[in-house]
Amino acid sequence: MLENLLPPLNDHNLPYPDTMHPIVVHFVIAMVLFAVVCDGIAFFTKNYRLQEVSWWNMVFATVSIFIAIIFGQFEAGLATPYAAAVGDLNLHTLIGWSLSGVLAVITGWRYILRLQGSKKLPVAYLGVNAMLTIIVLFQTYLGDKLVWIYGLHTEAVVEAARGGLLP
Amino acid sequence: MLCEVFNMSSFVLEPFIFVQSAIAPIHVLAAGANGLPYLVPIHPNLVHLTLGLFIVAVTFDLAANFYALEKPLFKFLAIPVTRSGLYDVGWYNMVGAAIITFFTVAAGFYEILLAAPPQDMVSPWGLSARDTMVWHGVGGVILLALIVGMTVWRALERYFWREDRARQVSWKYLGLGLFIFALMFLHGTLGAHLGGDFGVHVTADRLIRAGIDPNQLSVPPWNQIPEDPQLLPKVD
Repeated sequence: MLENLLPPLNDHNLPYPDTMHPIVVHFVIAMVLFAVVCDGIAFFTKNYRLQEVSWWNMVFATVSIFIAIIFGQFEAGLATPYAAAVGDLNLHTLIGWSLSGVLAVITGWRYILRLQGSKKLPVAYLGVNAMLTIIVLFQTYLGDKLVWIYGLHTEAVVEAARGGLLP
Repeated sequence: MLCEVFNMSSFVLEPFIFVQSAIAPIHVLAAGANGLPYLVPIHPNLVHLTLGLFIVAVTFDLAANFYALEKPLFKFLAIPVTRSGLYDVGWYNMVGAAIITFFTVAAGFYEILLAAPPQDMVSPWGLSARDTMVWHGVGGVILLALIVGMTVWRALERYFWREDRARQVSWKYLGLGLFIFALMFLHGTLGAHLGGDFGVHVTADRLIRAGIDPNQLSVPPWNQIPEDPQLLPKVD
């Protein structure tokens, strides 16, 4: 059914020119990391204005991750992963969906903290920030592997897969 | 060593192998198979930061300039918002973008220098790999200059020219910001051509072009058939 609604697949195995997921994730990776950095600087310099910056960045990241997941799921479906890539693609999918929940919970917590209006963030929140950073970096690394090592959606890999050369 | 551990008690460690296989360095390709002395290119990762920070900076300044329009929306969502808070995002994100972009461009040039793209094809825009790299390199420097220029302009408006005004940012600044979005789109497409079409620094693409099945990447290090130099990709 989908085939009839969308343009034919190109040599990246996509119905549009280039992969969208790596573009949308700019707004998750950059915003989360920048929010954590701003919280860190605010904690040490007591420049609490930066916490407003990190809050809005977290909001932007949280909205973006759901869009990233929709594109990611769609493009994973068209990725035709070969044997070597399947494991990492599955793990990336699992962490990606989970991360949307983690990020939503943290931003929800941040919303409450901001409403309560106390300036200093709880240490527990900063700890969660550190954990979030690790997950995001690992998830980015997995995505890097999918693109830069396994070459999913690149012309050479799509061509080899279509030729039946990549089981 | 690790291999022995895994072989002996793979039953117990089964759940961990899932994660282990994702983080274990892949020996076959370690340094060299992608033409870089490390596993994955750095430049595309820094690009996330440059683009994310810049685009969000301009977007929040835009939102702050149109504050009156979205104020009811935020009220409806029960999210307290101040105009100066939105401008703070516009300012600090732009500073972040300016700082990080020096590294983005530096990493990009390093990885251009180590690129060995195929010569026998053109991009969807009809450019050779070399031309695409030249344009992407020149564009990178121009964008760096524009981002730094925007940051300086933004600083002058924030702290001097428009310090006392409710609308901290001029429409001209936002106009240039939106123009840079368009440049970034073109520039990013050139970058996508380098990775997605020419396969620059893409391990699998390089292996396929060398006639090697990238599925050998799946063999975990502890199960590899040792040293068959024929299978090892050449470092150039």
